[in-house]
Amino acid sequence: MLSEKRVLISEVLKRAGITTAGFHSNPYLSAYFGWNRGWDVFYDSMEDEVDDKVPYIKAGEINNKVSTWLSSHIGGIAGYNPFFLWVHYMDVHEPYVPERKYIDMVDPSIKLNEEEMFGLFKDVLLKRDVSDRGIVEILKKLYCAHVQEIDDAVRKFFGILEKSNVLKDSLIIITSDHGDEFGEHGGLSHDGKMYSELVNVPLIIYEPSRERGEVCDTLVSTLDIPPTILYLFGLNQVDAFEGCSLLPLEDYPAKGVFGEAVDKHGSKEKGEEKEVHYYLQGDLKIIYLETDDSWELYDLRADPKEINNIIETSSAAEEIKEKVKPRVRRYHG
Amino acid sequence: MAIDRQISEKRKRQCSKFVELSKAIIREAFDKFEYEELGITWTGGKDSTLTLWVTRQVCQEKGISLPKAMIIGEGDEFEEIEEFVKKFKKDWDVPLEICRNDDVLKAANYTLSAPVRVKDLDERNRAELKRIGFDGEEFPFEAESQVGNHLMKTVVFNQFLERNNIKGIIQGLRWDEHPARFNDEYFEHKEMAHLVPEHTRIRPILHFTEKDLWDTYAAFNIPYCTLYEQGYRSLGAKTTSLKGSDIPAWEQDLENTEERGGRRQDKEKAMERMRQLGYM
Repeated sequence: MLSEKRVLISEVLKRAGITTAGFHSNPYLSAYFGWNRGWDVFYDSMEDEVDDKVPYIKAGEINNKVSTWLSSHIGGIAGYNPFFLWVHYMDVHEPYVPERKYIDMVDPSIKLNEEEMFGLFKDVLLKRDVSDRGIVEILKKLYCAHVQEIDDAVRKFFGILEKSNVLKDSLIIITSDHGDEFGEHGGLSHDGKMYSELVNVPLIIYEPSRERGEVCDTLVSTLDIPPTILYLFGLNQVDAFEGCSLLPLEDYPAKGVFGEAVDKHGSKEKGEEKEVHYYLQGDLKIIYLETDDSWELYDLRADPKEINNIIETSSAAEEIKEKVKPRVRRYHG
Repeated sequence: MAIDRQISEKRKRQCSKFVELSKAIIREAFDKFEYEELGITWTGGKDSTLTLWVTRQVCQEKGISLPKAMIIGEGDEFEEIEEFVKKFKKDWDVPLEICRNDDVLKAANYTLSAPVRVKDLDERNRAELKRIGFDGEEFPFEAESQVGNHLMKTVVFNQFLERNNIKGIIQGLRWDEHPARFNDEYFEHKEMAHLVPEHTRIRPILHFTEKDLWDTYAAFNIPYCTLYEQGYRSLGAKTTSLKGSDIPAWEQDLENTEERGGRRQDKEKAMERMRQLGYM
């Protein structure tokens, strides 16, 4: 359940008079868990029928709902109220049963039908069985086919804004909540581990006035996105948000980033929720597992795959542990 | 029992307008369908009781009695609702049919959470399970799990339509009761489908917010079930409805808190989706 104490970006914006609309199909973010706070329009798909092979409303249909809402919002002759639109596509998610044309874009030699793909989900992915490298590769390609689907959906989303003549006035932030593992650390899917394949997500900002793209390699966090949105709307920052606005660029403080999750396997083993935390600063990444009160430290420059734990040998270990401890319930009591 | 609360004259006029709009929908329903083809769903809850009350107003104006009404007995009822329904069935002269899925109740030995074996069910119920993709051998008897909801409510509802040849069914849904309802229409035609008869759903009180509804109850002295006084805001099956607070529903912060916060059906749905996505 979303804590009552959490402040959502939707709540802050709505209070400031901005129209807020959210469209998604993620049960974790549904009204039931409390994520419908602060929205003028909130669609979470939970009343709609889905099936086992595609257990969410697909991106194309989410786009249709966005399009209908957008036309009604900007339809008046008197101009429209500034809006914040949140769209979350579920399609890059198991059970990896993408449409044929997207599979063909990735690897046309994959001839699996829907039943067979769903079979891989049940018999391999759900069991976290990485013993057959060939099958894991196929799963990864199916995942990539879903990425193609999302590229298409994002293209269409831009088209919707363009058709409504609001693209030229829109700033668009594209990001994600997590990646998936394909055996990099012995598992599949996303089980609350803190390695790069799961926690490194894209962050793309589209600004209509920019003529060409630029790549920025500063270390930032998704926590920085809500403060950035407030900055863009010209609103005051709120204390409840932990991140820092990415803009203006020159004011962005160099800092490390934190992440945390529930350790799925540890929690299952211990029968209660166990935390996992990480902190990354420069090239050093530290991970804390509450399950067995253990630490891992990796030098990402020398060891980008995060294989060699140097917690016992690194001279920086003790200092960097102190950064994480205030966030760990065992240490902050 | 009626709410003892003063409503300003201005607010009363607003509530009257909401009621008039609902009456217009019901009059339209009487124009579109033969009297015998119309039905009403009643649960004893606040939405369906308001709907019944408004329908009764129109019937009185026309000098006719209420169309056939149904109430679903899901095997997990509040005694307070049963008493309320019993009293107003008599006072308002409601031609009420109590509809149950007796086959399932019997298979569960009339005991909540008891396992129901699919092979003990009749052909119709087995076909219904197949229709919703349930392929297990047994399920626990609960009114608001996905399977329970389908067999105990949806199936019973469809059978009521079939048995009475109902073409238009009046229901007490509201736009603000759930975000997913914002697109619902006053009249929605449903095509015939496998095990579902063709019918039209008529929703005359869609425009009432929860606050409008309680103000209307107070303004027109409409009776309601005492559970709302104890703090319930949304009533479903007894074991899965929770009180949000100990103060009467209409005194709670209706605009900033969840009307259906105490209902388990939404949890069931979220859990089912998470399972399908490979979590748990």
